Amino acid sequence: MRSLIDLIVSPDPAVRDLSIESQVAKLTVTELLEQAQELDRFRRDRDSLYERVRALFFLYAIHRFHLPKLVPEAELGKIAFEGHQHFLQRRFNEAIDVFLSEQKRSGPSWAVSSALAAAYHRLAFQTLADQVRKSVKTVAGNRWMFRTGNPDELPLRLRDELLTKDATFGYPMLRERTSVRMDFSHSAWSDIFFLGMDFPQGARVINASINLAVQGRHQHPEPPLDCCLRVIDRPVLRLVSIDLNVVVEITQLSQVFDFAADYVGLLKAAVIASGLIPAGLEGHQADIASVLRPLVGAGLGLEIVSRVNDIPKGSRLAVSTNLLGGLIALCMRATNQVSALNGSLTEADRRIVAARAILGEWLGGSGGGWQDSGGVWPGIKLIEGSVAADGDPEFGVSRGRLLPQHHVFSSEEVAATTRQRLQDSLVLVHGGMAQNVGPILEMVTEKYLLRSGSEWQARGQAIEILDQIIQHLSTGDIRSIGAATDRNFSGPLQAIIPWCTNAYTERLIARCRETYGKDFWGFWMLGGMAGGGMGFIFNPERKVEARQWLWEVMQTTKREMEHALPFAMDPVVYDFEINDQGTQAQLMPGGSYPVGYYPLLVPGWLRQDIQSLSAETRAELERVGQLCRSSETDLASKLIARILPGKTDDSISRQSLTDLLQINGFDPVAHQQLREDLLAGRLGLAQNLLPSTTAIDDVQEGDVMDCRQPLPDSTVEIGKAAIERGEVAVVTLAAGVGSRWTQGAGVVKALHPFVRMTGRHRSFLDIHLAKSQQTGRLHGCRPVHIVTTGYMTEQPIRAAVERWQQQNGEGGVYVSSGKSVGLRMVPTIRDLRFAWEEMSQQVLDQQQQKVRQSLRSALMNWAQSAGEATDYVDNLPMQCLHPVGHWYEIPNLLRTGLLQELLHAQPRLKHLMLHNVDTLGASVEPGLLGTHIQSGACLSIEVITRRMEDRGGGLARVNGRVRLVEGLAMPNERDEFNLTYYNSMTTWIDIDRLLERFGLSRDSLSDSERVLKAVRQFARRLPTYITLKDVKKRWGNGQEDVFPVCQFEKLWGDMTSLADVSCQYMAVPTLRGQQLKDPAQLDGWLRDGSAAAIEKNCDFVA
Amino acid sequence: MTISKAVITAAGKDQTHLPLQTVVDRTGRARSALELVLEEVVSAGIEDIAIVVAPGEKDRYLAAAGSFKSRLTFFVQNDPQGYGDAILRAQAFVGREMFLHLVGDHLYVSDHTQLSCASQLVAVAQREQCSISAIQPTHESKLRFFGAIGGTPVAHAEKLYEVTAIMEKPTPTQAEQALIVAGQRSGYYLCFFGMHVLTPTILDLLAEAKSAFAANLAGNPAGTLAGKPMSVNLSDSLRKLIQREKYLAFQIQGQRFNIGETYGLLIAQMALALSGPDRDRVLVELVELLARPK
Repeated sequence: MRSLIDLIVSPDPAVRDLSIESQVAKLTVTELLEQAQELDRFRRDRDSLYERVRALFFLYAIHRFHLPKLVPEAELGKIAFEGHQHFLQRRFNEAIDVFLSEQKRSGPSWAVSSALAAAYHRLAFQTLADQVRKSVKTVAGNRWMFRTGNPDELPLRLRDELLTKDATFGYPMLRERTSVRMDFSHSAWSDIFFLGMDFPQGARVINASINLAVQGRHQHPEPPLDCCLRVIDRPVLRLVSIDLNVVVEITQLSQVFDFAADYVGLLKAAVIASGLIPAGLEGHQADIASVLRPLVGAGLGLEIVSRVNDIPKGSRLAVSTNLLGGLIALCMRATNQVSALNGSLTEADRRIVAARAILGEWLGGSGGGWQDSGGVWPGIKLIEGSVAADGDPEFGVSRGRLLPQHHVFSSEEVAATTRQRLQDSLVLVHGGMAQNVGPILEMVTEKYLLRSGSEWQARGQAIEILDQIIQHLSTGDIRSIGAATDRNFSGPLQAIIPWCTNAYTERLIARCRETYGKDFWGFWMLGGMAGGGMGFIFNPERKVEARQWLWEVMQTTKREMEHALPFAMDPVVYDFEINDQGTQAQLMPGGSYPVGYYPLLVPGWLRQDIQSLSAETRAELERVGQLCRSSETDLASKLIARILPGKTDDSISRQSLTDLLQINGFDPVAHQQLREDLLAGRLGLAQNLLPSTTAIDDVQEGDVMDCRQPLPDSTVEIGKAAIERGEVAVVTLAAGVGSRWTQGAGVVKALHPFVRMTGRHRSFLDIHLAKSQQTGRLHGCRPVHIVTTGYMTEQPIRAAVERWQQQNGEGGVYVSSGKSVGLRMVPTIRDLRFAWEEMSQQVLDQQQQKVRQSLRSALMNWAQSAGEATDYVDNLPMQCLHPVGHWYEIPNLLRTGLLQELLHAQPRLKHLMLHNVDTLGASVEPGLLGTHIQSGACLSIEVITRRMEDRGGGLARVNGRVRLVEGLAMPNERDEFNLTYYNSMTTWIDIDRLLERFGLSRDSLSDSERVLKAVRQFARRLPTYITLKDVKKRWGNGQEDVFPVCQFEKLWGDMTSLADVSCQYMAVPTLRGQQLKDPAQLDGWLRDGSAAAIEKNCDFVA
Repeated sequence: MTISKAVITAAGKDQTHLPLQTVVDRTGRARSALELVLEEVVSAGIEDIAIVVAPGEKDRYLAAAGSFKSRLTFFVQNDPQGYGDAILRAQAFVGREMFLHLVGDHLYVSDHTQLSCASQLVAVAQREQCSISAIQPTHESKLRFFGAIGGTPVAHAEKLYEVTAIMEKPTPTQAEQALIVAGQRSGYYLCFFGMHVLTPTILDLLAEAKSAFAANLAGNPAGTLAGKPMSVNLSDSLRKLIQREKYLAFQIQGQRFNIGETYGLLIAQMALALSGPDRDRVLVELVELLARPK
């Protein structure tokens, strides 16, 4: 047996590149634990970043994937509360120590392994982040900024040219125009920092600087990033983002470090990273005038303006990093930190600008790859990792340097005709989707270090494809480039990260192939994930028509899929050209502002008394007057549009919201009562809690029936017979919108085609229906399937179900309508404070945490100014409504008459299997149904062994009585860690017994008045929880803001709190009960065999 | 080769009045700043001193020179073309000898028990027989006032460096990339002290630079010298000197004070006063000032 440490330290690449799977497959539990112990000791005393991080990922993999296969799930273990607290506070080492001692004390278990896996995983990424932060701080040229701790020590001065005032135009203006970068080969994410630092020879990218024009908006491609800097005659730092429509005048130093307080966080990051206001000044209490005085002189200030030329967010062209690069270059030129004031930068200058851009990304709490500031460089270039040498800050720590090497291809290497042909063939688009690629970058790092067979092989293939692309560039063979990028996307990229594609992209590619056949030369993956920025290569002879066609196809495809996938905007098509100059600056007369500056600033000036304006502003106004009087610009009309209000569609939205509320059963009286209760403090997050004197203990032996082992044949037979007789139906809860799944994007989670099974992307609903299909095939009777819906999900789900029934040629699937809806409210400050300050939560990495705190402070201000507990109406009407909790979904079956209809059509129906839409393993399992029938309980609840990620209550003895308790109601967080089982939400319901609890029977279901009264009476017996949910507000070009809003809900699990509802609890395998709440879970879910096991339970018809 | 001549430049714009200001020396006597600079030169055993002044300043300088006036030769920098050009004006005076050069807007206070700053530099230059610039570790926040060097320590010679790079008034960004010298405190760079011993080669290089500057100027009557030096400066020629001959830098035991900076004269005055016999008295006065409410 080879030690896993050999895989880390061996000088032989053949050993070093072995996967952990290949080494641990045949180990026993004891051997695996010994290996883990050795690795843990090893990683604690190594200096090498690679050795520490790879050992950490091995440990993560052991606990996440390998040990659980060897340890019976029934082995009970508990996650120590102290360990969890350390984990939340990012004290990962301490958390690991606590979890390891728990493992030593009570033996290995799924629960403890899940905690160890999470802690090792986070520690690995924390180690990497710390190293990047350290490296970027220690890059020569960056260090001084962290030492400058006092405004008196500020070493920079503005160049004299910028301080020389002109009688007519005032202070001159330095303007920088920068292109964005387009990745040729996608690079298999080899531009993540760690890969470059650990595997410099494999970290290779070709990227081109490009100018862009959005079709229909711009005439010609231009450098899309436009920034300028000038001295102003007021001692403030004025930051202007034209595209985000915001002007911020900073008067206090502390505001510069408050990144999320407004929309100019990127400009602030540039100001700091460029050294204008060095990072070392953070925390210093000073007014900005005293900081600007040495820089520009007494009584003067600085204005920095940025404009992105309508390029939407999520373009995958590294817009924000290049904007940061452009702004930093501008500020560094202005303060003599780089050699040239005008024109291009030297290679040395570009490198320091790139290093500062990485610093800026870190300061702003975001993160890009090392190739991302490629737009600062000219033309097409090969960017490669470089080996760290003696004298580099990385030497002895990592193999490679933080910053890569850039080789700009000459016209001999890539001919001008090739560049032109490329422009004539490639259609660049933004497909409209904007997604968080953060989890993908983490997956890439993890897979690189684990060297899993197929993924490591795929990385090798991606490197080969890059070499082929270089070759094709030199020969000018664009068709082969298209074939190579296409092969790259469908092969290695999806082998490494299956989630980089999606149903939308696949559909577009398929339509391109169908329509253009051989004239479609290939798909071009731009970066991160497909669906936003993408490329399609066509025969140049057909490119013009294909471009128009593709735009239309994207629009229609988006319309078809917008309920299922998170689109942030309508798709757009670009024109582009390669920028052979790189970032360029020019000293210009004052007033040479980017387009859009005056319409943004002038209305504010006009609102002030003319006498209170500075002389310079008055001169600007005169200039604006002259421009308006000339007929060469449309400035006058733009200003009028700004100054004088036009008719807005706000009233239309209001009307539509009112209609929606009425249609969906909104109760205004209850809503008003809720508002009063919230304001009076009778309801709120703190009021969700059970009394603090409540005794919450873990269940005892006999409280739970262990159904993780094979059940007796007799029980299984009872279940089988019931299925065959048509006694069971499935209820899939799909009224909610899955806030965590798309961070409040408001799409229908049930319809999200998130995974490829049997060759096609499948949605949650597809999978549930396919499981029912298989049950039907196996037992000769397909269970009736009911999908419950809400105001937002009903129409799309109805359409999807109709399509499914048409495709399958059979019915038996019913859609249940929602009967009530709530109107979201602006949260109270009290609840925001409770959620953010009283409830424990994961602390983020240092800088991200600062940004989060700044954002939270801004959101508190928003809640205060918008009015606590007022109606949340400042969004699309659908985003202002909320479903009222899944408890209502079964009563809705009664109220809509659907249950009555079913019982009439299928009188043998006796049981319902209710499950959450994201509990993919739930299927009509005969053994479990038999257990439920044998118990005679009204409800049989499935529970699973609690793991680290299963937060939010569980199965407990509450004051001695066994019931489910919600996390929202836990008075003491520590109690939750004492619970062995987590609620999977899957519930077997005896229909007649449930009706009886409601005071109803099969016969009385036809009496709608009685049903309504019964439901209302029952509802009063259950608690109402106040919750905060994230909701996205979209604006501009793909911009998204996330607001926490207040809503209420009643939850199904509280049925178990009622003494007259008989319940039994069944422990089921985790595979069956686990829920997919967050896309970040997907990769582990695929790799641990969960997806494959579920696929086996499905019969997909098409 | 012994060093017997010195050149002081005092013709710079906004600089001409600086050496004429009155300060109290370490013994408590009121004297002109120029007199102190001249005393510094003479302490190094140098008899002949050239001063390069702006037109019309000679008499005022003579008046301020006190007992040293007889040793002075004046050169007037008409049509000023930079710091390097000012030195070049004394070419005839220097001939082909090594010479000490000081800037007129600095005052020097030695930390050495016996030797003045100039004496320390001249002693090393005579031993090494090459151009040597005096240097002082300077905090990065003051880089904008000085030229700075990058270099490597000379083996077995304390505080002596072989110069490999020179930048004029660098930003810390540039200094960190090009001027890191082993053994220096973080955030400190070796900056010029305003005092050099130079070989005649520097005059050749300055003459070349001046010719090139004149040619550029002739080709660009509008005065837009894109990418070219805007004046004849010493740093460019010192950079070329590295290629031509041995060029060292020596860290002086002492301090220099740029009296052209805001509060520069005040700080220089305090340094002088605190280095003399009246130190305690001055300290008491300072403490009393400090104790007063703001």
